[in-house]
Amino acid sequence: MLHALRAEWRREWVQLRRYPTELLSELAVIVLVFYGLFLGGSYMAGGAILGGRLSDIIVGYALWTLSMMSIGTMGWTISNEAQNGTLEQVFMSPYGASLILLLRNMANVVIGLLFTILTLFSVMAITGHYLFVSPWDMVPGLLMIASATGLGYLVASVTILMKRSQQFLNLLQFILLFLIMAPTANLGGAWRWLAIMAPFSPVVALLRSMMTQGSALFGAGDWLLWSVVNAVLWLLIGLLVFGWAQKKARRRGNLSHY
Amino acid sequence: MLLEVGGLVKRYKTKDRQIVEAVRGIRFTLSAGTILAFLGPNGAGKTTTIKMIAGLVRPDDGDVTVEGHSLSGRSGQALRHLGAVLEGSRNLYWRLTPLENFEYWGGIRGLSRKTARDHGRELMREFGLEDKIGSTVQQLSRGMQQQVAICAALIHSPSLLLLDEPTLGLDLDASDRIQDYVLRLAHERGVGILLTTHQMEVAQTLADRISIIQSGVLTLEGFKEDVLARFTGSSYVFELAEAPSAEARILADNLGAAWTSECEFRVVLDRPTDVYEIMRALEPCSVVRVMRETADLATVFREHTRKSVSMESVREVTA
Repeated sequence: MLHALRAEWRREWVQLRRYPTELLSELAVIVLVFYGLFLGGSYMAGGAILGGRLSDIIVGYALWTLSMMSIGTMGWTISNEAQNGTLEQVFMSPYGASLILLLRNMANVVIGLLFTILTLFSVMAITGHYLFVSPWDMVPGLLMIASATGLGYLVASVTILMKRSQQFLNLLQFILLFLIMAPTANLGGAWRWLAIMAPFSPVVALLRSMMTQGSALFGAGDWLLWSVVNAVLWLLIGLLVFGWAQKKARRRGNLSHY
Repeated sequence: MLLEVGGLVKRYKTKDRQIVEAVRGIRFTLSAGTILAFLGPNGAGKTTTIKMIAGLVRPDDGDVTVEGHSLSGRSGQALRHLGAVLEGSRNLYWRLTPLENFEYWGGIRGLSRKTARDHGRELMREFGLEDKIGSTVQQLSRGMQQQVAICAALIHSPSLLLLDEPTLGLDLDASDRIQDYVLRLAHERGVGILLTTHQMEVAQTLADRISIIQSGVLTLEGFKEDVLARFTGSSYVFELAEAPSAEARILADNLGAAWTSECEFRVVLDRPTDVYEIMRALEPCSVVRVMRETADLATVFREHTRKSVSMESVREVTA
């Protein structure tokens, strides 16, 4: 499996390297977005440095971007591979398509993370302001990406069955945005289960608690526990649905002809 | 047995909710070092069968085992022994070089980078393409791309190779290279090859065994020599040194000669020994060559598939 992960990583890296103008323009866009966030944050604070708050905004934005990438990558991979004509060979891997998609997603997330770190350092060097991002901030980030991977499998399932998933992806992004913006953590009674079970909800509550109240990772009530449960749950749902969708697609014989 | 295809059945639902049986109980085996040409008209069920063997289509009934591993059970184990070049799909990323492709496709089949690179180089050398290792696939000619695709399918040294139209649209040189390689692969290295093609001359050159599928049913199966012999008539071609005398010509006509030129005629004989009787009749004109006409695979295929298939008499096994 390690060989497969390395192979996915190398493939992504080689493709990035092969077209340096594409790579540079992508980097420039990300630097500009982050620089804009930094300037906007500073402006809203009336020229004063936002300190921890600004780092929260940037961490939040980076997590959102990486999560959206995780959700979209699998569906995009399937339709792109199908259009290239290489999908059937991916499905013929003895490791199975689920694992190959997961490894590709991991390679993409790592590359995305490297881009983000590189960008962050560039922005800090340009502005002369240095942000402190605690390594503990990575834990909710990883949980969020795990949930996003589960959702990515759902998008991939729609893609292999329906051939197209762009509209489903757009709809999903709106729902997730709503779940992130809505104060689900404050819900009581039976509604509390919505805050626990809905994708991203507990991890967003955890992040909010860490960012706005300055709580430690283990000091945000039981949100860390529910975040782990939620991440595992959505990852499992995604894997199960994708397994079912694969069987269905194989039964219908529609792993090609896109 | 390398490959065992046991009673495969595949039904599809059409848009108007009709059930169509694409494959109806196909059953055959393939041993190591054998090339089986799996032939059939368009829509006969070849591609569906090949995809069921590759694990891409799930059969409604029956099973496929590769090296004793069932595709419906331990599919990962079965797929480790399987390589495929499927028509209408690719096993190469065009933006990558052949070597980078080998690293990737080898990697997702469990090979280390070094093993994939070394084996990839060796395969490219065998095709005489070692100087193309650094070019991206999209820079290569169609023939070279197909040769690299075969290399990629062989990167993990599979014992079974599925080749769907491997020489379609290629020039003579590329086609010959591929055919030579496929023959060596099977007969020298013991790889079992399941070949589907509409190019009957390619199938005739390569195949050890022939199977013909029609309307989802295997209607002919056997060793190539046996299949060709079944369709070879008792027709002989006589080539003469010079035009015979009028009397000799009349004698030959009486024996059923059909003249194709002044010095050549074709005749159907009941017994092979009748050849001597004709030679005596033609004397003193000397016979340069007598040739028994053998059927080629194209003729066999045409004659066989022209017959309508009835479900009750579908299986004619010649060997």
